[in-house]
Amino acid sequence: MVNPFRLALALVWAVVLVASLVSAAPSAFAQNAPWPREVTDVLGRKVTLTAAPKRLMLAEGFQIQTLGLLTKQPADLLAAWGGDLAALDPVVYGIYTKAFPKLAEVPVVGAGTGDTFSLEKALSVSPDLAIFSAWQVPGGVQDPALAKFEAAGIPVVVIDFYRDPLKNTVESIRVLGEALGREAEAKAFIDFYSARMDVIRTRVAAGLPDKPSVMLHAYPGIWPCCWSAGSGGTGEYIRLVGGQNIGGEKFPTENGGQLNLEYLIDRDPEIYIATGLPQLKQKGALAVGFGIDKAEARASLAGVMQTPGISDLSAKDKGRVHGLWNFFNGSPLNILAIETLAKWIQPKVFADLDPDADRAEINKRFLAVPFEGTYWIDLKEPAKQ
Amino acid sequence: MTDIATKADPLADYGLLLRRRVFIVAALSFLTLGAFLLDVALGPSGLTVGETLQGLFFPEEARRSVTVILWQVRLPAATMAVLVGIGLSLAGAEMQTMMNNAMASPFTLGVSSAASLGAAFAIVLGMSLPGIPQGWIVAFNAFVFAFGSMALLQLLVRMRGAGAETLVLFGIALVFTFNALVSLLQFVASQETLQRLVFWTLGSLTRANWESIGILAVVVAVISPMSFRAAWSLTALRLGEDRARSFGVDVGRLRIYSLLRISLLTSASVAFVGIIGFIGLVGPHIARLLVGEDHRFFLPVSALMGALVMSLSSIASKMIIPGILVPVGIVTALVGLPIFFALILKRKERL
Repeated sequence: MVNPFRLALALVWAVVLVASLVSAAPSAFAQNAPWPREVTDVLGRKVTLTAAPKRLMLAEGFQIQTLGLLTKQPADLLAAWGGDLAALDPVVYGIYTKAFPKLAEVPVVGAGTGDTFSLEKALSVSPDLAIFSAWQVPGGVQDPALAKFEAAGIPVVVIDFYRDPLKNTVESIRVLGEALGREAEAKAFIDFYSARMDVIRTRVAAGLPDKPSVMLHAYPGIWPCCWSAGSGGTGEYIRLVGGQNIGGEKFPTENGGQLNLEYLIDRDPEIYIATGLPQLKQKGALAVGFGIDKAEARASLAGVMQTPGISDLSAKDKGRVHGLWNFFNGSPLNILAIETLAKWIQPKVFADLDPDADRAEINKRFLAVPFEGTYWIDLKEPAKQ
Repeated sequence: MTDIATKADPLADYGLLLRRRVFIVAALSFLTLGAFLLDVALGPSGLTVGETLQGLFFPEEARRSVTVILWQVRLPAATMAVLVGIGLSLAGAEMQTMMNNAMASPFTLGVSSAASLGAAFAIVLGMSLPGIPQGWIVAFNAFVFAFGSMALLQLLVRMRGAGAETLVLFGIALVFTFNALVSLLQFVASQETLQRLVFWTLGSLTRANWESIGILAVVVAVISPMSFRAAWSLTALRLGEDRARSFGVDVGRLRIYSLLRISLLTSASVAFVGIIGFIGLVGPHIARLLVGEDHRFFLPVSALMGALVMSLSSIASKMIIPGILVPVGIVTALVGLPIFFALILKRKERL
């Protein structure tokens, strides 16, 4: 005969055991979920992954640098990638293919939005996960490219550092961390990123002394004068750190557009910032980025400042002319641009920020290939210490 | 009675007609000058008339920003607008006569597509002939390709003695060929060069500087009198090729030289400002409504109408949203399209 006391004890045990298991389960799932797992991407799509992906199709090749934040061997994960990096940023492409020679062998499956992708090519390399950037799937969750990949049984996650960077940068890193099973690396970068954003947001919330006018001039000497940031993208960074973007208030959409040079001269912004790329070495354009040293960047910025009209802006005499790498607008390293802009626009409030040190830390702690070169430059040489 | 009266003094009637047309030319010149001055006087910075005059006539006494705005921003764009208007509209007028087709314009024959292809080679691939300074390769390529496409047409005319119809068909084939090649280059272009190419094809007066204005001014100054001198033969051609021949006009020769003038005017204009559509179509059409087919008046009035419409478009492009530049190619197309539609509809009525 069964002892009623023992039976009761066993029942209590069972209840306790089940309860503890149930309560423990969700946290264990979030920390280091077993496969299969469900990942929610930046579009809010729920994607089920059966195992840790080993063969990625990275639709925007530029994001190899983002993969490089999460793994030291990003090339090992790639089964195919977009051709944009080679065309868009030949310097970075060269450095990555040198660091990972096998990248040159990775098949290229397209270069722009999803509808230019060769599905056949993508299928032939049988990826186990496709990663798209939000700008590549303009139709959002309804985009036909997503449906095509899903119909072929290839899970797709969408990330975004370009359209809505302030909202989606952290989210996108989280998505990648979960999708690739690299939550720890993702969390480390998110902590690094958020700590710095919090400093900026807190000080801005505490109040700023002024709201200086800013001109962010995209590709001077390359695009017709004067293409300005709108209220979106990089324009959001300017607003965040307390600047008044003289283009942002003008355009009917948030994309920016062409300002009349006369308007620029007339507004005479307190701060003038040009953007450029390392390969733009012609006269009147700004060369900044990978492999450009400070002297070269400064000399090319001085060349920009000889453009008729721009040469007479009073920002020049005030020492408030700067140059910035254009592609911060599509990279999680945008935190460096935000810190730099904060220092330029509100020097008193953000004097202690040190984007150079942060870049060194990112290079040391995170990136597979260090981010070398000059990404921001002041026209005025700093006083010798 | 009235019948006899009009027959009695046809010379007086003709004199009246001439005076009327001279008056139209004078009035248009006046309007164009007014539009040009308005173009120089208007801008988002809201300089006063006094400041503007001081900046124009006594630049050393004016504020630095005023002289820069006037001499580096407003005057080059305003001057370029007038020159491009004259060039494209005059070329369009000759083209319509030569092709005996009211819907023809230099762009119908693929000049703009050819220029775009040349610009695309320079912008996307950085390809040009050696020895051309960096800042000029886009304009140079656009000119060479535009002129080359017209030379190709010339060759066709010489080889086949081709009539207007063959010319149009060949031109359409060229348009499709060049457009496909431009698309191919766009497909391989990087983000910032693709954008640059798109901006180029939208047309812009902001690219004007005093060197490019000088070059275009010389082209216009040399070609226009040659064109005006051919007015008699062109008027004769309007009556039909056979009629023109019976007047002693060498139609083949006229066609070749006319095409050459059209090529130079169009290529030089497009090279410096990009694609600005409809001026070459709209200018001559309004001119024809005003003064008819007599090319002694039709050609200069076309040129003036082109300049006037371009000046007004230039004003509109900067004043629609003050501070922002709407590419002038878009503005002229939007101004030109309603007129174009009206012409098509009117044509149908006549048929």
